[in-house]
Amino acid sequence: MTSLVTATNVSKRYGDVHAVDNVSFEIDKGKIMGLFGPNGAGKTTLLKAVLGLTDCEGQLSVLGLDPFKQRKELMQNICFIADVAVLPRWIKVSQLLDFMEATHPNFTRSRSEELLSRTKVRKNAKVSELSKGMVTQLHLSIIAAIDAKLLVLDEPTLGLDIIFRKEFYSNLLSDYFDGERTILITTHQVEEIENLMTDIMFIHDGRILLDSSMEALPDIYTELTTSGENADKARQLGPIYERDVFGKKVMTFEGVSKEQLEGLGEPHTPSVADLFVAKVKGAAA
Amino acid sequence: MIANQLALVRRELWEHKSLYVTPAIVALVLILTILTAFVFASGHQEIVDIGILGAQNIAGEGERRAALLALLIGNTIPFILVSAILTTFYCLDSLYAERKSKSILFWRSLPITDAETVVSKSLTAALAIPLVAFAVIVIAHLVILLMTSIFVSIEGGNSMLLIWKSAPLFDAWAGILLIMLLLPIWFSPFIGWFLFVSAWTKRAPLLMAFLPLVLLPTLEYWVLRTHLIFDAITTRFDHLPIFKGIDLEQFFNDEKFVGNVDSVSLLGFIDIGKFLASPQMWAGVIVAGLFITAAIYVRRYRDDT
Repeated sequence: MTSLVTATNVSKRYGDVHAVDNVSFEIDKGKIMGLFGPNGAGKTTLLKAVLGLTDCEGQLSVLGLDPFKQRKELMQNICFIADVAVLPRWIKVSQLLDFMEATHPNFTRSRSEELLSRTKVRKNAKVSELSKGMVTQLHLSIIAAIDAKLLVLDEPTLGLDIIFRKEFYSNLLSDYFDGERTILITTHQVEEIENLMTDIMFIHDGRILLDSSMEALPDIYTELTTSGENADKARQLGPIYERDVFGKKVMTFEGVSKEQLEGLGEPHTPSVADLFVAKVKGAAA
Repeated sequence: MIANQLALVRRELWEHKSLYVTPAIVALVLILTILTAFVFASGHQEIVDIGILGAQNIAGEGERRAALLALLIGNTIPFILVSAILTTFYCLDSLYAERKSKSILFWRSLPITDAETVVSKSLTAALAIPLVAFAVIVIAHLVILLMTSIFVSIEGGNSMLLIWKSAPLFDAWAGILLIMLLLPIWFSPFIGWFLFVSAWTKRAPLLMAFLPLVLLPTLEYWVLRTHLIFDAITTRFDHLPIFKGIDLEQFFNDEKFVGNVDSVSLLGFIDIGKFLASPQMWAGVIVAGLFITAAIYVRRYRDDT
């Protein structure tokens, strides 16, 4: 079994609102899956369901476990960073390490200490005395010291400055990711992880708009910059989304080959951010 | 399981420093008050001399023991009252603060069940708070007795006879410890209710905990003209089934009492059998269990972060 997460027809309702609406997907071992969606799209709800923090309808299996019913077993093999605010502010760094050592069977304290020694985080400091960036470093040093199979990151770099953000992802790759582990990540800063992820998923209004490997994206999606008559011809091929850039038309195509578009303008592969906008706006239209 | 509970309770003590700082402050205040009293007493030399003379030569062993037992118990009551207040505030904060600060997301990312967490908070309230307070009480008692014996020695008394040979230390401490462990069990419905409110309320846990305690009995009386809820709440505060019946008149007048040293015993006044046989005690424990189960359920199913 290589699939770590298997969701089949997963739904979660809050009253009349379908936060997650009949969603099915798989995440294979060793992948870095980026999950994107506008605010309120259902990202966090989906992550919570995967983490067993909320129950849901449908079949959801994570590491072969039912996340809601077997949360304790699951959490021995999953790590989770929600956002920098969640480490308790009153705790001292040394206390946090003591607590992790006492309660987490897969935590290696020396590893965490080694990673922390590279930072300015002092062991006797309280979390409330650390800067946001340092809290993230602390959290990552704990996560990286857990021998977990799946790491779930929900907006891990929210509120951090650019230096810490870059550092976070490079540390994530060097200290955590080893090809054996799997990462599921959401962020608004798509461009920061564009070169990092192996797979991508878009979610909007509780539904999955896109679920693909990064490798496959250029074969499926093409962005065409065109104008005038060519634009009309291109429009016949059914772009999923069209926008104006400096008087030119930029169209996004799905399943139309680059050869077909060659004569109509300049075809290229869209950035993830542009593709995201195209998919979301296209779905709304 | 037990290792996890120890780690979790230790975490509660890290977070809630007031659980040991407050008893320490109470101890300090008591010690300073007694010290002031000694300084004041030194100004009344004759009365002190007569007192020491009387205690050494006229009073019997039983009377000296009774006086010291009263001193120890008197210096315990403030700790018990403060522990009750600490327990209330601790319970109300314990499952509320983690939601407010969102650190619950971190705690729930660890391999610890909601049941383990809530149980650890119940154990902190019912066991850790009394044990910490008890440790401070023992230290405070020793300091107070030491101060007293120094004072007695300075005033020319025999402190070995008056204090150290007469003080029923182990009887007092065993009795105090037992009482401090039984009280949370007797008042466990309140512990359970406070934990539940803490897990459930979106704001103002203190208000949400005490408002129903006032409103529900009032409502019941208006609508039904009965006072069952009022009785259920207030009977918790009288007739604690911990002590043997004490006839106060006999207690102070009985000649035999003073003569019989062994009858001066705090432990001797505690009736474990009566406590264990009390239906109200068991009913309270069941109510507490229901509230704690509800708190676990709310922490597990509620999704408001």
